[in-house]
Amino acid sequence: MQKLTGDVVVKGVGSGQALVTQMPINFAAALAGVSSIIPGKRGVIQDRQHELFQKNIKGKVLVFPTCIGSTFTGMVLMQLMYKKEAPVAMIIQNSDSLLVAGVILAEVWFNCGIPVVEYRGKDLYDKILTGDTVEVNGDTGEIKIYRETTQ
Amino acid sequence: MLNGEQGHVIARALKTLVHYGKAFGAQRLVPIKSAHLAGSFGSISYSAYYIVLEQFIKAGLRVKVPTTINPRPGHDLNLLNRIAFGKQNALDFKMQQLGVTPNYSCVCYEKDNVPNVGDCLAWSESSAVQFANSVLGARTNRNSLLIDLCSAITGFTPEFGYLLDENRRGRILVKLKISKMDSAALGFIIGREVVNKVPVIEHFNFSRTELKNMGGAMAAAGGIAMFHVEGLTPEAPDMKTVFANAPPEATITITQDDLQNLQTKKPQQAELVVFGCPQLTYEETIELAEYFKENRSKKNIWFCMIPEAKLRFEQTDLYKNIRKNGVQVFSHCPLSALTVQISRKKVLTPSGKLFYYLKGAEYSSLDECIKTCREM
Repeated sequence: MQKLTGDVVVKGVGSGQALVTQMPINFAAALAGVSSIIPGKRGVIQDRQHELFQKNIKGKVLVFPTCIGSTFTGMVLMQLMYKKEAPVAMIIQNSDSLLVAGVILAEVWFNCGIPVVEYRGKDLYDKILTGDTVEVNGDTGEIKIYRETTQ
Repeated sequence: MLNGEQGHVIARALKTLVHYGKAFGAQRLVPIKSAHLAGSFGSISYSAYYIVLEQFIKAGLRVKVPTTINPRPGHDLNLLNRIAFGKQNALDFKMQQLGVTPNYSCVCYEKDNVPNVGDCLAWSESSAVQFANSVLGARTNRNSLLIDLCSAITGFTPEFGYLLDENRRGRILVKLKISKMDSAALGFIIGREVVNKVPVIEHFNFSRTELKNMGGAMAAAGGIAMFHVEGLTPEAPDMKTVFANAPPEATITITQDDLQNLQTKKPQQAELVVFGCPQLTYEETIELAEYFKENRSKKNIWFCMIPEAKLRFEQTDLYKNIRKNGVQVFSHCPLSALTVQISRKKVLTPSGKLFYYLKGAEYSSLDECIKTCREM
């Protein structure tokens, strides 16, 4: 088990499998479109320009650098959390107003926010790999990483 | 207000802003001069949004500051659009009940919502935020949908980010080696390279229209909320001032080749050429329409205009001429209108923003798009 300590952006606790990308995410482009109304498909990334294209972020600990693009981001994320198809936690290198807005809106209006921790260190992508089990404590900023060893 | 003396719904709106501000170390809420909302699409998929709007309306709340709203989504274009945006009329009515100005334009700063230098705002719509900060010298963060409305309803925004001097100064120097300007392509590349810092572009005498289209592309391909142009935009009288006497964190150079690489090799394959994202202003339309008044194009052509500008344009002979030649003139958002279509025509556009968002769309400079439309 490895540990990282980041800065708390939004409180709460969550754990799950990590889904890691070093590409910034445009959630409006990623999660909009016809499929955004189909249960089970809402969390699937639709942005062809993104390396997570066709991956589902539901139930994952999403690890990524930052948010880009449209101010729809907050609403798209709020809707995802409201429909219970969101990641369980997010670890972001540079927290951004749109991402935080989405999570805060879900928390204040629907009681369904998720923890967000900001970790600026460049070693983020060495320490967490896709598939690791990650526990995010949004109250302390602590991130615990468990890796299944093959053998 | 936060304790609920004015009702629990407005208390919740304020609580949203307090939590949102706290996440970014805001010390206080400050009053705003105006708001601009991006939540103008009556899509059937945004149920959570409507639930919150309904709570505002039930509580009898109205916006406390002048508040404008983004374009409609092209909900009446065809059957599929009518289904996908089936909540449009209900949403329009909700916004009316909340006291929102029905300008329906992302270029709200042209007429209905014109901020002064230094005004604090709570705007969403990345291209409008970009223009307000960079070109008009007003101050707003890139607010999300609903955060914008919480601010409009309460009259406050948390003070952090682009409301503070230290975050508005330049960080990245952008040098240009360009012989023929293509502002939308330049914006697209700057967005991609700079991602979310404040770029300072070497002096170039961009027109207001070019600044609009460059900013729109920059805010789509990146997360940029503010840029400067040396000797042109209000907070960049010279390099020393805009960088607050500090050296740039990085310098990038954008060349003619970079702009060229963004252009599609086969513009002639396009079936539909779309102009206006952000929406076309009156002046921009008049200039563009000149190229379409003589002959009918083989391509389908869309002009997407600010609704108020479209009303004025419809009074002109030029409008009658281009309509006769098959140009379609709309005032909806081309992106949302085209996104929901299943078998869409091949789209070509000189908009860096539309190019980024619309799957399968191709980019050409404005000159090249016009040339493509005029080929016989």
